Amino acid sequence: MNALLILSALGIFALLTDILGLKKILFPASIVALIGAMVASGLEWGHHTSYFNGMMCTDNTAILYTELLLFAGLMWFLICGSSIREHQTEHYAILSFALAGAVVMVTFSNLVMLFLGIEILSISMYIMAGSQKDKYSSNEAALKYFLMGSFSTGFLLFGIALIYGCTGSFFTSGIAAAIQQPMTLPHGMLLAGVLLILTSLVFKIAGFPFHFWAPDVYQGAPDTITAFMASVVKIAATAAFFRLFSMAFGSMVQEWSFTLCLIAIGSMMIGNMGAVLQDNLKRMLAFSSVAHAGYMLIAIITLNKFSEAALLFYITAYTLATLASFAIIIRVGQENGNGDVSSLAGLGKRNPLAAATMTIAMLSLAGIPPLSGFFAKYFLFNAALQENYTWLVLAAVAGTLISVYYYFRVIHSMLILKGSEEKISNSPIQIIVMLVLSALLILLGIMPDLLLSRIGS
Amino acid sequence: MQIATYAWLIALIPLMGAILLGLLGKKVNGKSAAAIGSASVLASFVLALLIFFSINSSTQKSFDIHLFNWIHSGSLSVPFNFLLDPLSSIMLLVITGVGFLIHVYSYGYMKDDEGIQRFFAYLNLFIFFMLLLVLGDNYAVMFTGWEGVGLCSYLLIGFWFKNTNYNNAAKKAFIMNRIGDLGFILGVFLIYNTFGSISYDKVFAAAAGFSSGSSIMVAITLLLFVGAMGKSAQIPLYTWLPDAMAGPTPVSALIHAATMVTAGVYMIARSNVLYVLAPFTLSVITLIGVCTALFAATIALTQNDIKKVLAYSTVSQLGFMFAALGAGAFASGVFHLVTHAFFKALLFLAAGSVIHAMSGEQDIRRMGGLRKLLPITYPVFLIGTIAISGIPPFAGFFSKDEILAHVYACSPILYVLLMVASVLTSFYMFRLLFLTFFGNYRGTKEHMHHMHESPSVMTIPLMVLALLSVLGGFIGLPEAWGANHWLNGFLAPVFEQSSGRVNALELSHTTELTLMAFALAGAFIGLAIAYSKYIAKNQVPAEDNNQPEGLYQLSYNKYYVDELYDKVIVKPLHKISESAIAFLEKNVISRSVDSFGRITLNGSRLSRNLQTGYIGFYIFFMVMAILLILLFNRI
Amino acid sequence: MLTQYLFYFLSFLAIFSALLVVFSKNPVQSVLSLIVTFFAIAGHYVLLNAQFLAAVHVIVYAGAIMVLFLFVIMLLNLNEDSEPQKPGWIKFAATITGGLLMVVMIAALRSAAEMPAPQKVDASIGMIKNLGHVLFTDFALPFEISSLLFLVAMVGAVMLGKKEIHNP
Repeated sequence: MNALLILSALGIFALLTDILGLKKILFPASIVALIGAMVASGLEWGHHTSYFNGMMCTDNTAILYTELLLFAGLMWFLICGSSIREHQTEHYAILSFALAGAVVMVTFSNLVMLFLGIEILSISMYIMAGSQKDKYSSNEAALKYFLMGSFSTGFLLFGIALIYGCTGSFFTSGIAAAIQQPMTLPHGMLLAGVLLILTSLVFKIAGFPFHFWAPDVYQGAPDTITAFMASVVKIAATAAFFRLFSMAFGSMVQEWSFTLCLIAIGSMMIGNMGAVLQDNLKRMLAFSSVAHAGYMLIAIITLNKFSEAALLFYITAYTLATLASFAIIIRVGQENGNGDVSSLAGLGKRNPLAAATMTIAMLSLAGIPPLSGFFAKYFLFNAALQENYTWLVLAAVAGTLISVYYYFRVIHSMLILKGSEEKISNSPIQIIVMLVLSALLILLGIMPDLLLSRIGS
Repeated sequence: MQIATYAWLIALIPLMGAILLGLLGKKVNGKSAAAIGSASVLASFVLALLIFFSINSSTQKSFDIHLFNWIHSGSLSVPFNFLLDPLSSIMLLVITGVGFLIHVYSYGYMKDDEGIQRFFAYLNLFIFFMLLLVLGDNYAVMFTGWEGVGLCSYLLIGFWFKNTNYNNAAKKAFIMNRIGDLGFILGVFLIYNTFGSISYDKVFAAAAGFSSGSSIMVAITLLLFVGAMGKSAQIPLYTWLPDAMAGPTPVSALIHAATMVTAGVYMIARSNVLYVLAPFTLSVITLIGVCTALFAATIALTQNDIKKVLAYSTVSQLGFMFAALGAGAFASGVFHLVTHAFFKALLFLAAGSVIHAMSGEQDIRRMGGLRKLLPITYPVFLIGTIAISGIPPFAGFFSKDEILAHVYACSPILYVLLMVASVLTSFYMFRLLFLTFFGNYRGTKEHMHHMHESPSVMTIPLMVLALLSVLGGFIGLPEAWGANHWLNGFLAPVFEQSSGRVNALELSHTTELTLMAFALAGAFIGLAIAYSKYIAKNQVPAEDNNQPEGLYQLSYNKYYVDELYDKVIVKPLHKISESAIAFLEKNVISRSVDSFGRITLNGSRLSRNLQTGYIGFYIFFMVMAILLILLFNRI
Repeated sequence: MLTQYLFYFLSFLAIFSALLVVFSKNPVQSVLSLIVTFFAIAGHYVLLNAQFLAAVHVIVYAGAIMVLFLFVIMLLNLNEDSEPQKPGWIKFAATITGGLLMVVMIAALRSAAEMPAPQKVDASIGMIKNLGHVLFTDFALPFEISSLLFLVAMVGAVMLGKKEIHNP
């Protein structure tokens, strides 16, 4: 709740800076506000407070996801804040509001709140994807994202309506309670509602077969916005997915888990295989994000006591690595901007720190020990094996094997291929961001318990 | 105990030193790098001293310090904890104390090397891992340190990486150690599987429920011992240690004499509770220890490289320690570990000083008569030689004598073998001393011209170590003398649980005193033979192309063990892998890998072709998918 | 009885005019059909005793949004000729899938008949007073949060619509 208030206030403040002539302090103010929001949200730890008649609930998991969102937001502002020149105030305002929407998505306990959160985040993203007005690709990305997104929103609303029709409640607890008495419910309608919500959430996390928007939008949108989508949107959508399906539909897991299994396997296969042949970095990362959505779905399928912690760990590892790689992509994109894997050639010589960070990020995404990505996969697979999903894990491992190819291609390009000799310099902020992100990627790999012990305590 | 809460600093400071030196690289000059490296170890040493004194004075003897939870997954829980008890505090003192002296010495030795910053970074990293090894309260932390010191050893043996031979030596050490490490980690897995935990206290408490000689205990202890064989250079995994002398001499002193190679001894002493439950393993350890002691000693008799002699002597002395452990005399093993750390570090550093003075010459046939020219190196080398030969009241006498007594109580035959090894030790050490420092100078004029005593930054550590070699033995005066064996009493809490299971030393004081007399006589016999051969008759070992036949040849060529390994293991392996390449690789692996790649590639094309870019198609596909999902779930 | 006839009439009107929206070739005609659809739905609201919703629906959708649509169509000068022609098979496939989806949805909703009918319906549930009460008590937070949503949309619209001043 504290985070939500601070983020909304930050957004409104950002809108006012143009009038008040405070544009100079906007960047530092945003950083301070985000750090303040992290602290303020941390203060709610352990209280398990429910706000406004149970509309949202800051339990410990929600706080951890909020902190993760705020951290991702903070890193994003540090990476991209200075490179946004046009429409600075609007960018800051919309992205603060988007973060607020994301926070709503991870703390909701009422479907209306979930819907509002998703819409705030999505609409911000539609707008931001098209923020480079003079670029054809940006406009195309915005329109594609908007059209398909509204389509999936339609299904979400339809699903919510069906669920409300069956159970008579918008509250996750009320729905869960109603599902406990299956005799009184129209079963087909309930299942249809659950499946419609499921499809629209799979769309939001870009899982197969609703992933088509991701490669086109990731590639077309400005680099900075893609970074935001790949981190904040992914966290919020996955966390909301898990929250809704564990809190409301947990007791009918048997009925939707197999569908989700097929979606997960499809995402892992299509995502990983799709990334193999891509030359554009952002497009490759988009396919990789489809694959990672598949991995994260494993946690939602298993839904046991390990999977909550495993999912949080996975998302954290994924976010850190993604932010790190986008920090480098954005930096390199400013120098020579075709955005291909080959544009990284010779980075090892041109900017060793960036190359090292990118290498760590890629290794972590591929799940190479001792980086956090390895333990993330390990915990996730472990949770799945507890529920005897051996074949699901086998598919995931096969997908991981494929993924090594394209992640290593990036490393190969940076460290082995010869490119331009011109040095790329780092600003102090960029150095800090790269160091912090790579340190966290290594630290969580060496001491995963730092994060894991927080959940389930 | 207040100070125990700062135990993490002991390990952290050298790590910070290593990181700092690694990051700064060439930005600091050699002097500052040496200062940073030495200061960090000195700080650790001061902390270790404080901890040692507070443990010594406190009634509670063991402190478990929780740092953080390291791995927590399912039933596996590995905390990152440090254990402070008499055993670890003694090890801390040896590592940081001797380590500090060697750091100081290294500055003098490596002053003109361009990689001195890297050298100190590696040394500090080594100290960190070694401290981790002895401080951990469970096998996972120990294993981390165990692997870490192996890595540092590899890096430092191959420090002069431009020389291919040195790199090969480094690789050999690494691979030999890997063989041992495999055994070690299998042992740890088996421990976890058996006891459900890898923390010392839990494992040892649970071990009490196992009967002596149960097969699982034998399996665990044997696997762990394989690890110790690799790290502590016992038969059959000892051949890497002599080759490891390729590294700079301070490295040989620190890693390959005083600390890392004794990790195996520490590990077995630490796991004493498990070992006493496996009498079979104990007899294996004794046997291997005695054989190694004797075998290495016979090789050392004929070597002409000053460092090689010391290397084989180290292997031999480690054999002594294992013989003690096998006889159930854990405290005696640790005692010899400590005294050996003093005098062997001293001998290596003194040898380094000689090599320094001789401008890099290591062959003792080119030395001789250096006594007058090196007025400080000579006396300290003499002290080291006396100490290792076992002449009272120098350190080696007490610890070696204790081991001999325990082995005698175990098996008189093994005692005789070990006694022979002890006589040989005395002979080859005095041979080394006489050939180096007595007689006439046999080297080149060129070397003579550059001859100089080492600077004080090198000689002061030598003198401190010499003092320790003289006095070190007094921490364990024999009870047969009516004295108080301080070390035994101090370490008693660590070996408390196992003390009831091994036979206490039941020799009468007369027997013990007789054994001491034998040992002393043996030392003097070795000395006398060496004297008559190399001083009275003034002999010099023959040149390489003119070696005597027979046993001498065999010893000089190290029993052809390297060649044997090459023939029996390496060559057949090559044969097998060649045929495997011919058949498996081409027909099985290549094909399956290729088909995996082909499937992936086809999948990629499919995925790319689906991505048409037409939004109508996307939405059509989405609706189809929703339809299929709904139909599939039979709504 | 009368309400039932009214319901069927309004439903028919809504679906028929919705189909006209899709099928008519002239964009202006589409928009006009859409307005009819909205009115029909507003009629449904009235039948459900939700007068406030009905009024808002007419004002917002039939009024504001449709006027906006017409403006856009006129400004872009859209007419029959500029309507892009889709290939036949896409139309065919879309019809089939859309139809199938409808059938499946109907099958899903069919089970709603199994539900016991509500015992007693409060006739005034959709009145403005009750609606306002619920909005400002139970649903105060979503009500406020939705203002965030509108703010985002507004700022975004301004940003996208603003003329670039310092375009190179």
